[in-house]
Amino acid sequence: MDEKDLRSIIEQVLTEMNMTPARAAVSDGAAGAAPASAVEDGCIPDITEVDIRRQYLVEDPENGEDFAELKANAPCRLGIGKAGARYKTDPQLQFRAAHSAAQDAVFSDVDAEFVERMGLWTVQTQCDSKDTYLTRPDLGRRLSAEGAAAVREKCKKNPTVQIYVSDGLSSAAVAANVGDLLPALMQGLQSYKIDVGTPFFVKYGRVGVMDEISEITGAEVTCVLIGERPGLITAESMSAYIAYKATMGMPEARRTVLSNIHRAGTIPAEAGAHIAEIIKIMLEKKASGTDLKL
Amino acid sequence: MRPGFFFSGKRVNLLHEVILSVGIDIGTSTTQLIFSRLTIENRATSYTVPRIDIVEKEVVYRSKIYFTPLKSATEIDAEAVKKIVREEYRAAGMTPGELRTGAVIITGETARKRNANEVLAALSDLAGDFVVATAGPDLESVLSARGAGADALSKREHTVIANLDVGGGTSNIALYEKGALRGTSCLDIGGRLIKVEQDRLSYIYPKIRDLARSHGISISVGEAADEKKLYAVCRLMAAQLAQALHLIQPDGDHAGLYTNAGRPLPETPRIRGVTYSGGVADCVYQPPGGDVFRYGDVGVLLGRAIREDPDLGRVERYEALETIRATVVGAGTHTTEVSGSTIRYERNKLPIKNVPILKVSEEEEASLETLKASILDQMPLYMPEGKAEQIAIAFTGEKRTGFAEIQALAAAVTESAKEVIRSRHPLIVVVENDIGKALGNALNVMLQHEKDVICIDGIKTLSGDYIDIGEPIAGGQVLPVVIKTLIFNS
Repeated sequence: MDEKDLRSIIEQVLTEMNMTPARAAVSDGAAGAAPASAVEDGCIPDITEVDIRRQYLVEDPENGEDFAELKANAPCRLGIGKAGARYKTDPQLQFRAAHSAAQDAVFSDVDAEFVERMGLWTVQTQCDSKDTYLTRPDLGRRLSAEGAAAVREKCKKNPTVQIYVSDGLSSAAVAANVGDLLPALMQGLQSYKIDVGTPFFVKYGRVGVMDEISEITGAEVTCVLIGERPGLITAESMSAYIAYKATMGMPEARRTVLSNIHRAGTIPAEAGAHIAEIIKIMLEKKASGTDLKL
Repeated sequence: MRPGFFFSGKRVNLLHEVILSVGIDIGTSTTQLIFSRLTIENRATSYTVPRIDIVEKEVVYRSKIYFTPLKSATEIDAEAVKKIVREEYRAAGMTPGELRTGAVIITGETARKRNANEVLAALSDLAGDFVVATAGPDLESVLSARGAGADALSKREHTVIANLDVGGGTSNIALYEKGALRGTSCLDIGGRLIKVEQDRLSYIYPKIRDLARSHGISISVGEAADEKKLYAVCRLMAAQLAQALHLIQPDGDHAGLYTNAGRPLPETPRIRGVTYSGGVADCVYQPPGGDVFRYGDVGVLLGRAIREDPDLGRVERYEALETIRATVVGAGTHTTEVSGSTIRYERNKLPIKNVPILKVSEEEEASLETLKASILDQMPLYMPEGKAEQIAIAFTGEKRTGFAEIQALAAAVTESAKEVIRSRHPLIVVVENDIGKALGNALNVMLQHEKDVICIDGIKTLSGDYIDIGEPIAGGQVLPVVIKTLIFNS
């Protein structure tokens, strides 16, 4: 359906909604002539631009200034007023926009061009689609046969550190953070003179696939930068899971995690520098997860 | 919620570290010392980047209050001061080696003594490795207000509080609105600006004599101490304080009473409450009976005059947490802050004391070209003999948080700070924004690991400030920092 058809349908619906008994009589065969259907050039404000830390919408508050000051501390949906028993329009739309962004982050793929631009190549887990990925976590923890072969073939053997990127539950997180996070992490390791293997990208990856990657590459430390399950505050949050000599079937407690990496959390460039230091400590202490006191 | 648990009704925090701090105040009339415990804790969860703060400050020892030993009207008796400090350390059971941080401050008129700087330096070495030397009426205003608790009070009560630290020689005022510093000021109003010996006036500060004269009161050295007449002079001094707080219009004498031709407080925000600290404060809160000249000065009368002043009485008078010890408590507990928790440093280069800040202003920071130009232009100021001194280059780092921007920033610094890089001193960079570690790494890699780089964040600075950086604490994650300035970060 092209835009013209769409427009005429919308106009028609609008006209019908406006129909009064008096106008109904003349509307026969003259619906298209209604003058109310002019299309303007303007834009409605972008509701996702609102900083909810600064938005306070309660009418006639007892002490609005103090509430607004409290609100500035955290992005929470409080002090947003109400319309009868419901949300006001603006918070309602923001909520739905945030929910849509979260859904999109899960269901969309990371742009192949972006992966290439980051100097990465792609391998896939045993999942063949997003649906399989979401319903079969076990398959997201194993590389496909081709994927495993590619890692075996293309990656430097027994590096001190193996780093890779994965979509996890948020492709948006990869797009938003990896451009700053990965080079900062690489530079951090370089500044500590730590040898790094060949980085790549894992599609449909769960955290656990790092164990297989660790076994194939023989890396001392393996680190995945992976999209976190999106929330309603941000859909762009990323985590780093890092483990010393990870092996398949090892306890989850052996992973060290750094979460909340995004522009409103720990900024990606600084997070990369921090992860490099965690890796350095991990190499010194030869431990990770709960065995490692940072 | 911070990790921890309750034991016997008291909160016990895990992952914390306690460091000891000392404060030494050598004032116009008194010299004091306090020890305090600063509790440092990681307030972030274990799966995010650490966020380390000073979460508790507790004074654990208060010295006796000594008269400041002077050799002459223009010289501090350094040996006598050192003796006081040594004896109080012994009495408290402390050794300089145990003290991780602290500050010595020379306040009021004493700061004008001929040997003030040497005494400061000698004491800061005697007191501990990272005990810094400070001075200046603005800092004194801030430290006394924080010691008196005016900043916390203004925050808790959501109001505007001025603390008046009325000492022997000066009155230091700091204005806080909801916990944020809004201004400082210092006037030559104090209890020992008129001294009384054997019922006769033995000393009159010229500005006070002039103030009295312009209101038709004549006082001169040698005359008998007349309580009524001196109270009238004290009322004039109290009225000057009301003028300084903008509670009444200033008169013709007012402008001349600011110390070192300093500036008045801003007119807004309007003051809604006051606290008093300093030696005279106790006489404001609890007017003592008995001989008004027992301290050999007009402090008791000045306290009474402040208490009775109708204009000062128009705003609420709050209790201060500390009165005569406010400045020393401020110096011992409120000078140290901690850097951001993701930073880069060379451990063996610390501590570093008294480093001047080369500040790139926010306008100059807007483009890398102007940033470079600013560093290059200012550099000669820090090269008195053609060689670079130890300096710290500071800017906010605002809007340069991306990896590429940080690389460009690092390149601009290495290009413009060549003199520092060539010198034997480490390259010190101080930023406000949370990019310290990434920027430090970039500098390190760009300089091919050949230069010691100290790059810290979370610290606000102003042009003309000095910085002291201590040895790492909290498992090496943060550095204690003292900025000798007006601007505090918390």
